Amino acid sequence: MLLTLAAASLLRHRARTILAVLGVAVSAAMLLDMVMLSSGMRESFRSLLLSQGFQLRISPKGTMPFDTDATIRDGDSIVTILQGMNEVKSVSPVLGGQLHIPSASGTIASSALGIIPSVEGDYELVGGRQPSAPDEIVANDALLRAIGRSLNDTVHAGAGYDSQLRSLTGERVLRIVGRARFVYMASEQKGVALPIATLRAMQGHAVDKPVSLMMVRLAPDQDIEVMRARLERQFRKVNVISTAEALKQVDERLSYFRQLAAILGAVSLVVGFLLVTTLVTVSVNERIGEIAVMRAIGVRRWRVVAQIVTEASAMMLAASPLGLMLGLVTARYLNSILARFPGVPERIDFFLFQPRSAWTALGLLAVSGVLAAVYPSWRSASLPIATTLRQEAVG
Amino acid sequence: MNVVTISLALLLATSQDSARRIAIDERLAADAGLRVGDRVSLSATPGDSGRIAIIGAILRRSADPAEIARGEYRVRLHLTELQSLLGYGDRVDRFAVGTTSAQAIGDAATRINSAAFGFHAHRSRDIAVQTSATFAVVSRFHRAIGVITIVASAIFLLCIMLLKVDERRRDVAALRLMGISGRTIVKGVVLEATAIAVFGSIVGVAFGALTSWIVNAYYQSVYRSPVRFSIVTGDVVLLAVSLSLVLGIAAGWLAARRLVRTPPLMLFGR
Repeated sequence: MLLTLAAASLLRHRARTILAVLGVAVSAAMLLDMVMLSSGMRESFRSLLLSQGFQLRISPKGTMPFDTDATIRDGDSIVTILQGMNEVKSVSPVLGGQLHIPSASGTIASSALGIIPSVEGDYELVGGRQPSAPDEIVANDALLRAIGRSLNDTVHAGAGYDSQLRSLTGERVLRIVGRARFVYMASEQKGVALPIATLRAMQGHAVDKPVSLMMVRLAPDQDIEVMRARLERQFRKVNVISTAEALKQVDERLSYFRQLAAILGAVSLVVGFLLVTTLVTVSVNERIGEIAVMRAIGVRRWRVVAQIVTEASAMMLAASPLGLMLGLVTARYLNSILARFPGVPERIDFFLFQPRSAWTALGLLAVSGVLAAVYPSWRSASLPIATTLRQEAVG
Repeated sequence: MNVVTISLALLLATSQDSARRIAIDERLAADAGLRVGDRVSLSATPGDSGRIAIIGAILRRSADPAEIARGEYRVRLHLTELQSLLGYGDRVDRFAVGTTSAQAIGDAATRINSAAFGFHAHRSRDIAVQTSATFAVVSRFHRAIGVITIVASAIFLLCIMLLKVDERRRDVAALRLMGISGRTIVKGVVLEATAIAVFGSIVGVAFGALTSWIVNAYYQSVYRSPVRFSIVTGDVVLLAVSLSLVLGIAAGWLAARRLVRTPPLMLFGR
């Protein structure tokens, strides 16, 4: 009965109801997008950091990993100490740099990572194998395309330029033995990984053994924060960053997007709320006589309120699936725009769909739908019956 | 451009004339409690004893959007001093070259690049385009969000106008029965919609300007930057007002046409 009356009332003004559902659907889509944006980046970055199983990252004091050219001098001594700890399962030192590879179209510059292949956590092999000799490298598709080479080809590469001698410095012949997808590199960034000792030798740093970053995998059941604090006390010249700390930094840097998501999400909710409130108020005002008659023939006040709240909730619920679909489509489009941010890792999703996001958006919509209807319905159900009937009959 | 890290430690001893003078930015000065004349130790590696320098100036941060999210500190020192501190020899990251005229830029770049090995000459304009790629992405994102907002507003506006006109069904029915033409009624409703749209636009522009002021005040304090995050320009106002007027008038016209096409007695509920 309640549902029938609510449906009849909504169908009486079809155009109005359709427009309201459309309006709420767009608001719902925007709300879902903003919920996805507010949590998606963080979740996406967290899973990226944890994807290779390293819980701690050690970088030069005052810097975040690869934020600057700074390195930890004699990093190998720290690596050796870390490897001797029972709490540490493995340590992956990384040295950053550039390789310059002459090709037919000029010299191609590529990001280079010096790694220890057996413990590296910077890339996934998609073809070939890990480097096992000092002159072996893995490269990503962007670089292979740029230099027109493939697996098992050799390349001449240098770590820098000597402008006066017009030659590359640290020049070597390297063999490409693997195709890799670098986890932390942007989609079009050219990348190569080679044994850390080779890169150091090419850069002329074979003696001081610098390291840009160390990634630490802890033994099972270790308290990450306790270990982080301990290592930072032990090694004064470094920053020890846990995943939680890295996420905090990411939060700070991307706070703009979270704030934007909060503001636009709130605006969407308010727009949906206002739309439903306006429609319900007008609809109730039009049916004031009808409601008075219902009350006069004995329909209880709460039932009148329930019918109007049902109408508002039905509008919200009808709009939700449409809003969800619209939200997913727009999220994909918006994500494709933000994915072009220079330097953002390929795997980062700004709009990450999680069932929790959809439920949050749906819950907020449902609550705002109910709230939008409560006041006008209660007000109409509280009107004096006799006076209202007389006014409606005469007026 | 490469970014280098310099460790900076405040020393409490008295100043020495032989120490070099450096300039730091106001964010670093505020966070580290440094003032002009203070002595600091500079080193390229954390924990090293470093070299003594005196703070000779505190610089106001430029309105560079690229610096916003990074929250870095800036220290400026003589080139030779930095090269020596970092062990760079006579290496530099970049040269800025001034040409005799704007027309000479292309020729100069071509000549430099034909002779260059290990470096490349770029026009400042090209570098500006490249370094502003982040903001181009943000701008595209804002535009996309703007389109969604416009769609939502259009539907909202149409709904409100429909309701507003629908509220007058009895008045319209009476006017029709008195012999007033449907065209006159539509004109009247459109005029009313125009008045509402104009008034709404004025309020909207004022609200937008206020919001823009709040956004700037808030983000300038959060990021401690003089960058203006939101600018209300004539173009933006023109676009917003035009959209509001077009949408408002179109919504009023559609709703009025729908009403005048309904027989008057039906509008009376008979």
